[in-house]
Amino acid sequence: MNLGALEEDTFSTCCHLLLQKSEQLRDGWSWESVQGSPEGYLKKTALRSAVITSNAIWSQEGSKCNSEAHSCCQYSSDQQVSEKSVVVDEDDRGCTVPEGSSQFLQYEYHILYSCSYRTPVLYFRACTLEGRSLSLEEVWSSVHPDFQVRLRTSPLNTISQQEHPLLGQPFFMLHPCRTQEFMRPVLQVAQDQHRSLNYVVVWLSVVGPLVGLDFPQEYSTLLQ
Amino acid sequence: MADDKDVLRDVWFGRIPTCFTLNPDEITEREAEPYYLLLPRVSYLTLVTDKVKKHFLKVMKTEDVEEMWFEYEGTPLKWHYPIGVLFDLHASNTVLPWNITVQFRNFPDRDLLHCQSNSIVEAHFMSSIKEADALKHKSQVINDMQKKDHKQLWMGLQNDKFDQFWAMNRKLMEYSTEEGGFRYIPFRIYQTLSDRPFIQKLFRPVSPEGNAYTLSDLLKEMFPAALPTEREPKRYQVLIHGIEPLLETPLQWLSEHLSHPDNFLHICIVPAPSD
Repeated sequence: MNLGALEEDTFSTCCHLLLQKSEQLRDGWSWESVQGSPEGYLKKTALRSAVITSNAIWSQEGSKCNSEAHSCCQYSSDQQVSEKSVVVDEDDRGCTVPEGSSQFLQYEYHILYSCSYRTPVLYFRACTLEGRSLSLEEVWSSVHPDFQVRLRTSPLNTISQQEHPLLGQPFFMLHPCRTQEFMRPVLQVAQDQHRSLNYVVVWLSVVGPLVGLDFPQEYSTLLQ
Repeated sequence: MADDKDVLRDVWFGRIPTCFTLNPDEITEREAEPYYLLLPRVSYLTLVTDKVKKHFLKVMKTEDVEEMWFEYEGTPLKWHYPIGVLFDLHASNTVLPWNITVQFRNFPDRDLLHCQSNSIVEAHFMSSIKEADALKHKSQVINDMQKKDHKQLWMGLQNDKFDQFWAMNRKLMEYSTEEGGFRYIPFRIYQTLSDRPFIQKLFRPVSPEGNAYTLSDLLKEMFPAALPTEREPKRYQVLIHGIEPLLETPLQWLSEHLSHPDNFLHICIVPAPSD
């Protein structure tokens, strides 16, 4: 058996349990099914306050490395990026508000199953309250500071714009090719202790906060 | 292992004669002549249209120019699909050249992914190759390659170098003889009749009894309406690189020879012409 992988029917079961919990917590997750198919995805929308920088740093570098894309996308460490883009979650009342214009953004999160990678995948899109969609550079600038390190080494392999495989619309996607890798140790511990885990809950508690998705601790009871 | 090299060459060098016309609503300083180009089927629109852009910018003021995008008969063209797929899906059975409209304003960001540099195309291309190898070899081949090998695949496509690309790509086409094929076939089936952009599921090249699955077996499971019946006239064409392969063709052979450089077998299902 391939530890780290998630089968499609287990994905459905995990989502089903997550939805039951969400109903108790009233935190807004729903299941959207695709017409004429058993497939679907978990969906949640949320308002979030964030500071976004509309680019300069990222896109300048981006265009400079046009011709030698991959290997050169190493961003010089720039204090400005991490300081200006601290995400202010509504729950983090202790956190100081950074300078710069913090604004409310409307986020839409979708959780889909990838049969290629045999993992869940997080898709999301974001717009301002006036309805303007965020650009990739703005999304990069709004991720959690801890995550910016990884972003700086290879931004396009981490979060990129992709077509939503069920809706055909542009979404941002957290790339799933490393998911099995970071899930494996967690699943190994659980297996050694003969505990069962809700894969989707564990995974979402790791990746959600990176892009501003709050995931209440109450879900941890689903781990058992 | 792929040894039918002529087929690989024919696929790689497939071209579509195209006429680019500027959208008449664009603000220009003088009339813009159409621009003609032979587009490589296996490449991407935004990768091969630098000259088109340059041509139209000559008659426009910089302040009237935003991100360039393309449209065919009112449908925005998704640059992240290979050019041949866009043509087969939207324009097969029409007269050549393919007439594409070029636009520089009102980018439809509900329909199209942004693409303002070649690094975006590269990331998309490499991400497809990685996904295909996850299906074919549990990512083992692509992960064993070095960064320069990945680069070689990309540069091969970008610079239209068949030998450079295939020297590396053949590794992605290997499998053990005892298994008789890849773990799963990386494929996508496109049709324009529903909102869902494509069908992509797990499908093995060989049955548990060891028989090779064919294109017909795949369609039977994924899109049965595309198969001809004895009673009715043919309703659909099943196109790969603009041709209708025999439905009895083994899927493994198709995957090795008719996949795009992104390592996916892109199959278009379009209504049969009623002539």
